[in-house]
Amino acid sequence: MGIYLVVALRNLLQAKRRTFFLGAALSMVAALLVLLLALAQGLTENMIHYATTLASGHVNIGGFFKLSPGDAAPFVKNAPALRQIVKEEVPEAVFVLDRLRGWSKLVSETGAMWLSPVGIDPAEEKHLLSALRLAPEHAYKEGGGDERPGDLSRAGHPGEIVLFAAQAKKLEVGVGDTVTLVTETERGVTNSADFHVAAVVEDMGMMSAWSVFISKRTLLDLYRIAPDSTGAVMIYLEDIAQTDAVLARLQKILPERGYTVLEHKSEPFWQKLEQLPNEDWTGGRLDLTTWEDEASFLKWVITAFNGVSFFLIAVLLVIIVVGIMNTMFMSVRERTGEVGTLRAIGMGRGRVLGMFLAEASILGLFASTAGALVGGGLALAIDAARISVPSDAARMVLLSDVIHLSTSGAHVAAAVIAFTVVTALSALYPAWRAAKLRPVTAIQHVS
Amino acid sequence: MRKLLIALAALAALLPATAGALTDEETLALLKEQDQRQRQTGDFQALAFIERKEKDKNDLVYEAVVYRRDENDKLVILFLQPKEEAGKGYLRIDNSMFFYDPSVGKWERKTERERIAGTDSRRQDFDESRLAEEYDGKWLADVKLGKLEAHHLELKAKPGVDVAYPVLHLWIDKNNHNLLKRQEFALSGRLMRTMYFPKWVKLYSESKGADVWVPKEQRIFDEVEKGNSTTIVIRSVDLKPVSDAYFTKAWLESKAR
Repeated sequence: MGIYLVVALRNLLQAKRRTFFLGAALSMVAALLVLLLALAQGLTENMIHYATTLASGHVNIGGFFKLSPGDAAPFVKNAPALRQIVKEEVPEAVFVLDRLRGWSKLVSETGAMWLSPVGIDPAEEKHLLSALRLAPEHAYKEGGGDERPGDLSRAGHPGEIVLFAAQAKKLEVGVGDTVTLVTETERGVTNSADFHVAAVVEDMGMMSAWSVFISKRTLLDLYRIAPDSTGAVMIYLEDIAQTDAVLARLQKILPERGYTVLEHKSEPFWQKLEQLPNEDWTGGRLDLTTWEDEASFLKWVITAFNGVSFFLIAVLLVIIVVGIMNTMFMSVRERTGEVGTLRAIGMGRGRVLGMFLAEASILGLFASTAGALVGGGLALAIDAARISVPSDAARMVLLSDVIHLSTSGAHVAAAVIAFTVVTALSALYPAWRAAKLRPVTAIQHVS
Repeated sequence: MRKLLIALAALAALLPATAGALTDEETLALLKEQDQRQRQTGDFQALAFIERKEKDKNDLVYEAVVYRRDENDKLVILFLQPKEEAGKGYLRIDNSMFFYDPSVGKWERKTERERIAGTDSRRQDFDESRLAEEYDGKWLADVKLGKLEAHHLELKAKPGVDVAYPVLHLWIDKNNHNLLKRQEFALSGRLMRTMYFPKWVKLYSESKGADVWVPKEQRIFDEVEKGNSTTIVIRSVDLKPVSDAYFTKAWLESKAR
C-alpha cells in the first residue's frame, strides 16, 4: 500500500506546476466552504441569541383572548397559575419570566410606526438588560456624536421606553424625547400613553425592528387588562436541545389541567394575531411555541443563504471536478508507458486504479486540509474583528450589526472529507481508463 | 371695590353662556334628534369619495359605492377607484366586518373599528348615528364656531358599551341643529381625531316618512399623526330599496370580477 502512496506523491511532485494550481484552486474552494459554513452557523446563532433575548424563551406559554370573533388580543389570564405549572412540570427550566406583548402604533412629532411594545419587569430581565447596549448618538441622529446617552437602568419603569436605533432614526427622536403609543384596549376602546425615551440601544438585526420595551404595569393599564394577565410565560432551559421534549410535555399537561390549547403552528405570535379574527371562537386559549416558532419569519434568511451558498459551492465544485478529470487524463496519457510496464510485470488492474485514485486523493486531502484550515482561521479572525455591517439591508439579512462567523472543527473536517471524496471520485473515470489499458497497447503507445 | 368689579365682569362674561345652558334632558333630546335625523329606516346607497392625505406620501383618492340597511346593521363598501383598489370591499353582516381582496380572492374578518382602506376614516363614519344609545351627554357651553353659534357638548360612553372613543365633544349648530364639529378622545384623555361637517343635505325618505340628513362632506384630521387627514365626500344619495343580494359575499365577489 505504502508504495502506491510513494508513487502517487512522486507523480504529484513531478508535475509541480499542475499540482500547485489544482491544489490552490481546491484550497480556495475549501476555504470558501468553511467560511460559508461559519457564516451560516453565525446566522443561526444570531437568530437563537436574538430570538431568546428579545422575543422568546426556549419554550413559551402564550395565548390569545377573543372578546368577539372579529377581535383578538395577545393575552392570557392568570399568569401565576401558569408559572406554578411550569415550576412543577419543567424541572429543566433554568429561569422563567413573563412578558406582555402588544401591537400598537408608536407616534413621534415627525413620524409613526407599527410595532410590538413588550411589557417587562426589570427585576426579572437581567438576561435582556445585559444584552442591550446603548447606541452611539450618530446611529440614529443626523450629526450625532460618538457619545451613548441614555440610562438602561430606567428600562421597564413606568413612563419610560427603550427604543432600538433604527426606530429612533425613523421617528427622529433621541433620549429624553417624548413618544406616544396608541392602541386599543381589550374591549376595542382607543387608548394612548406618553413615554420618555430612556435609552436608545443598538439594533439587533431584523428581530429588533418591531420591539420596544416599556413597563409591564403601563402595558396592563394601556390595554386595560387584569393585573395577573401576561403575554407569554417564557421558559429558559438548561440545554436548548430539550426544547421539543418540554414543548411536547406541556402540550400534554396543559389540556389535562383544563386549558384549551391552540393547534401548534410554527409562526410568531403577531402572525397568528393577524389570522385569529378569521376564527369563530371566543374566550381565551393558550398557544405553545418554541424560540424557533417565534423566529420562524427569519428562517427564509438562513434558507436563502444556504441556497445561495450551495449553488456557489456546486458551481465551483463542477469547475474543480472538470479540472481534476482533465489533470488526471493528462497524467494517464503521460504515464501510459509506465502503466504498460507495470501491467507487464504483473500489476493488476485494481492496483493501477488504486494508484491513480491515491494520487488524486492525496492532492484532495492536502489541498482541502490547507484550505479548510485557512478558512477556519479567517473565520475566527473576522469574527474577532467584530466588523460593522455598513448598510441597513445587510444588517437585516445578517440579523446583526456586526459580522458574526462561528466555525468549528466539524466544519473543517466536513470540508476536508467532502473535497477529498469529490477529488477521488473525479479521478475515478480517468483511473479506470488507465486500468483498462492492455500492457501491449500501453507499451506500443510509448514507442 | 376693584375685586367687586372683576367679579361682576366675570359674571357678565359667564351670563351669555349659562343663559343658553341645556339641561341633561335637553342634551339627550338633542342627541336623539341627531340620531333620528341621520337614521334611515329603509336602505341607503351613495357614492363616496375618500381623499387620504398623509405626510410624506402622495395624496390618494378612493371612489367607493356604499350600501346600508340600518334595520339589521348591514353595510357594504365597494371600491371602484383607483384601479389597483377596484373590487376590494367591506361587508358588515351579523355584527361582523369582513374585507374582500380580489387579488388574493380571500375574505378576512376585521375588527369593527377597522380603518377604511388605511385612511383615518372608520366604519362608523359610514354607518348610522347611535349617539344617544352609546353615550351620556352633557352641555358644556354655547360658543361661536366661526360665524355660527353652537352648543358644545361632552359625551361619555355609557358603562358597558364598547365604543372606539370613550369621550366625544360635539359642536351642534344652535339654529338648525346641524352637527358642525366632532372631537374624539382616547381613554387617556388624548385628542385623537377632529372632524368637521361643513355640508349637510336632507332627502325625503319614503320608508321613513321624513327627511334623512346626510353629511355631504366630512373632514377628518388625525390629531396624533399631525398632517394626516381624510376627506369623505358623499354624492348621489339614493334612499330607494336595494336588492338583498347586495349584502352578500357572493355579490361583492361578483363585482370584483
